[in-house]
Amino acid sequence: MTGRIHIDGQSIPFAQGQTVMQAAEDAGVAIPHLCYHPDYEANGSCKMCTCKIDGRQVSSCTTPATDGMVVVSNTEELNSERRALAQMLFIEGNHHCPSCEHSGNCVLQDQAYKLGMTALIFPNFTAGRETDASHPDILLNRDRCIYCELCVRASRDTDGKDLFCITGRSNNKGLAINSDTGLLKDSGLSVNDAAANVCPVGCIIKKRQAFTKPIGQRDYDKRQVHSNKISPSTLPELVKEPGEKVSVATCSLAGCFGCHMSFLDIDERIVELVEHIEFDRSPINDIKTCSAEVDIGLVEGGVCNTENIETLREFRRSCKVLIAVGACAMSGGVPALRNSIDVRELLEESYIDNVGVENPQIPTDDELPHILENVSPIHEVVKVDFFLPGCPPPADAFWQILNDIVEGRAPDLPYDLTYYD
Amino acid sequence: MTSESDAVVREQLAAYRRDPRMVLQILRKLQLAQNHIKATDIDIVAESLNLPRTKIHALIDFYSFLHNTPRGGYDIYFSDSITDHMLGSRESAAVLCEELGVEPGVPEKDGLATVDFTSCTGLCERGPGVLVNGIAIDRVDIERAHEMAALIRAGTPLEDWPLEWFVINDAIRRKGPLLNMTVQRGAAIERAIELGADGVIAELEAAGLRGCGGAGFPTHRKWDICRSAGAGERYVICNADEGEPGTFKDRALLNCEGCNVIEGMTVCGITIGARKGFIYLRHEYEFLRERLDRRLQRRRDSGKLGRNICGHHGIHFDIEIVMGAGSYVCGEESALIESLEGKRGIPRIRPPFPVTHGYRGCPTVVNNVETFAYAAGIAADGPGFFKQDDAKRGWKLLSISGDCRSPGIYEMPVGTTVGEALQACGAEDVQAIQVGGPGGTLLASHETERELSFDDSNTGGSFMIFDHSRDMLDVAQNFTDFFAHESCGFCTPCRVGTKLMANMAEKIAAGHGARLDIEQMQRLNKLMTQASHCGLGQSAAVPILTTYEKFPEAFRQRMDDVEYKPAFDVEAAIERSRQIVAEEAQS
Repeated sequence: MTGRIHIDGQSIPFAQGQTVMQAAEDAGVAIPHLCYHPDYEANGSCKMCTCKIDGRQVSSCTTPATDGMVVVSNTEELNSERRALAQMLFIEGNHHCPSCEHSGNCVLQDQAYKLGMTALIFPNFTAGRETDASHPDILLNRDRCIYCELCVRASRDTDGKDLFCITGRSNNKGLAINSDTGLLKDSGLSVNDAAANVCPVGCIIKKRQAFTKPIGQRDYDKRQVHSNKISPSTLPELVKEPGEKVSVATCSLAGCFGCHMSFLDIDERIVELVEHIEFDRSPINDIKTCSAEVDIGLVEGGVCNTENIETLREFRRSCKVLIAVGACAMSGGVPALRNSIDVRELLEESYIDNVGVENPQIPTDDELPHILENVSPIHEVVKVDFFLPGCPPPADAFWQILNDIVEGRAPDLPYDLTYYD
Repeated sequence: MTSESDAVVREQLAAYRRDPRMVLQILRKLQLAQNHIKATDIDIVAESLNLPRTKIHALIDFYSFLHNTPRGGYDIYFSDSITDHMLGSRESAAVLCEELGVEPGVPEKDGLATVDFTSCTGLCERGPGVLVNGIAIDRVDIERAHEMAALIRAGTPLEDWPLEWFVINDAIRRKGPLLNMTVQRGAAIERAIELGADGVIAELEAAGLRGCGGAGFPTHRKWDICRSAGAGERYVICNADEGEPGTFKDRALLNCEGCNVIEGMTVCGITIGARKGFIYLRHEYEFLRERLDRRLQRRRDSGKLGRNICGHHGIHFDIEIVMGAGSYVCGEESALIESLEGKRGIPRIRPPFPVTHGYRGCPTVVNNVETFAYAAGIAADGPGFFKQDDAKRGWKLLSISGDCRSPGIYEMPVGTTVGEALQACGAEDVQAIQVGGPGGTLLASHETERELSFDDSNTGGSFMIFDHSRDMLDVAQNFTDFFAHESCGFCTPCRVGTKLMANMAEKIAAGHGARLDIEQMQRLNKLMTQASHCGLGQSAAVPILTTYEKFPEAFRQRMDDVEYKPAFDVEAAIERSRQIVAEEAQS
């Protein structure tokens, strides 16, 4: 059958045997997707391409087009579901964009940007899957696998090698290598194989080729401008007398202070800013405790020890609006890379085995904070009102979000101010 | 590699004709024979069937009862279904673990026994249900657990355990047309041949028989579509993967009326023009397999199965039993077919549906055990069979379990009210009823006017009753964990969503829940319902949210009225650090 289908009101043709996704791709209509690839049979597992087709929600990559079909795709309802799916994939694996070699070339990251994902609302699963670095040219970082099965299909259908296989079920899925040792080095996978090139995320990557493209020239750096309006209902009202300033407190937990540095990159605009705000507790003015009532708290860094928890709770108690700033506060970030390592091993590495340690011993002073088993994003410990993504968020993003809140607007971070890396 | 082990695997490969579609059957036999599937056997199976080794591992990982590390010589699973809990399964398991000195799921160090938990074993009216080396034992109370421990410690072979433990009787409490059926063997076949395919389909339509597994698709239409779908082979599959927690009526049907089911399948085969049928029997019902096999053989011997059935030239139909290996999703017809083809039980992309593209891509009728049994009755006696005693919408078998005087099988007219069912089984002090299993409908005690039918409270048979002594949050958490455990993991919303739901249910149950957790569960539910690949993900978040809606006090008892609570227990998260520092301070 051939004919026409209607996607979001636009009439497009389809050829015999095409699915809704194929027809849309041919017509240049973008439907978000991860596991779909034009070269392979549809898998239908990621569910990102879910559309309302003739009234029912189904995957557009597996639905055959029929004449007169009505497809609804680009609505806030569907996009918010897709955003939630992206959030699910981010917390299921370890997707820390700032420390990922594939950042900028990653389909998951790009989809999340386009869908306006600015926060990871679900608690992280802290995956600790085995990495396979045995192959001379290819690295398999299973923590980043999203089970799209593209490598499985590419190896089977294009390379004729059938080297990859999905194992397990429910939350215990895995990606196995078909070789005598189960290792990539013995599999016969070559860098030129389709399977080595098809991974949409940073799970199967080539060694020695990371960060070769500068930021700005990576596959998905061609940013489009669109708005990520945050629901205004979540904005607590900051009632101010005319001329009264909004108070702002800032701190860094397990972070690098890079977000603070970026904040200061608003440069001379800070003069304009301090006409409307005054700093409360902050490394900027070296005030060590929050006042009883602060309007806005900006928290950088993840939560790695009991001191972080105490600081964070103080911020939550004092601040009317709490904003998670940067990748570490939002997802644990770089410090969270230690999450698959046992606490004792961490302490021994730091205080006993580390180069240049004198008088090696694990400190036992009661005054010292205890470290948590995992580094967590701050929203797993206190309620967070807004998220300012980026590693670090650009100065303009600080400028924007503070101005929005000061003027009582719902914060609006345009696409080009939303960075995960 | 020992030659003895080699012999076992070679024997199984030969028994299953080295057919790659039978790989799951071969693996299951190896598991039962050797307590696990040895790496060397995996190599042999992979090589002999020309399958990648990873595919074998992927099967072992997918199915609950297959393992590639050794289990104990006595491999014991307690049913983790809520009704078994209510009958004391956790307590019995604790006794057994303590007496044997084992942790759940971890084999004893000398390999004597493993004590583990599994999803519903289908012995709900006679729980706690247990599987020992694949064989069912009912009513494993604390006393029986002590006795089992003694037998295990003495190394008594299973054959020498008390025989009565293995006799699974069926509590048939109320009989209707099916359970009273006294049709002569072969009568339905004879009449079906006489009526012809059109006639059989017309009678099924007149009877109004709909799929009894829960989906309720009109049986006559399924058979008709299959019969008309293209040329070539077609297949009949009996879905005996009765995995819905709280359902055990198929077990009883196969146990006592197995011939009706076989007769119904044969009628279907003749009607749609299939020559081959399968009974996909769940692993937990291994104890039924031998008897069913004997029945199939008797029917072959008497000409009711095989070539030229009942002397009718050119009418051939035979049935093979294929076993499941522990996966709830395989109750979904397309996942079942995948499993039957020796693959992981992941529901297929539909359309096309199995009725046109089923087993080996051929048109296939997949019907529930009960559907085939009723179809046999209708084929033998006409549409009136299904509407006896003025039951306008026909009859349905209910599996009633939980808090009532007489749990068991009840054959009741479709449209029976919840109140009538409660009265029939002697339920008192009712707090709630779960109709249709964990993904079904939760009813409060005042909803007794609700009907058990496709149009109201739909059920494939499961009807679980909870009295006021039960904590409904416990019940909901059990269901939520069940879905997280049984998700096939194929699609994102279900794979991640069921785990998130289980984590949040645990958080709330532990007293760490807050209002925002409920809100998040509600949002997740919407996503899972809308975007999941199959019914499991679509219904997985429903039980806990319906419980919140209908039994809010169960939540209030464990939740402070606060907006937010941390996602994890901070005290527990620093325990490891505290421990290390304490150890270091001492040394």
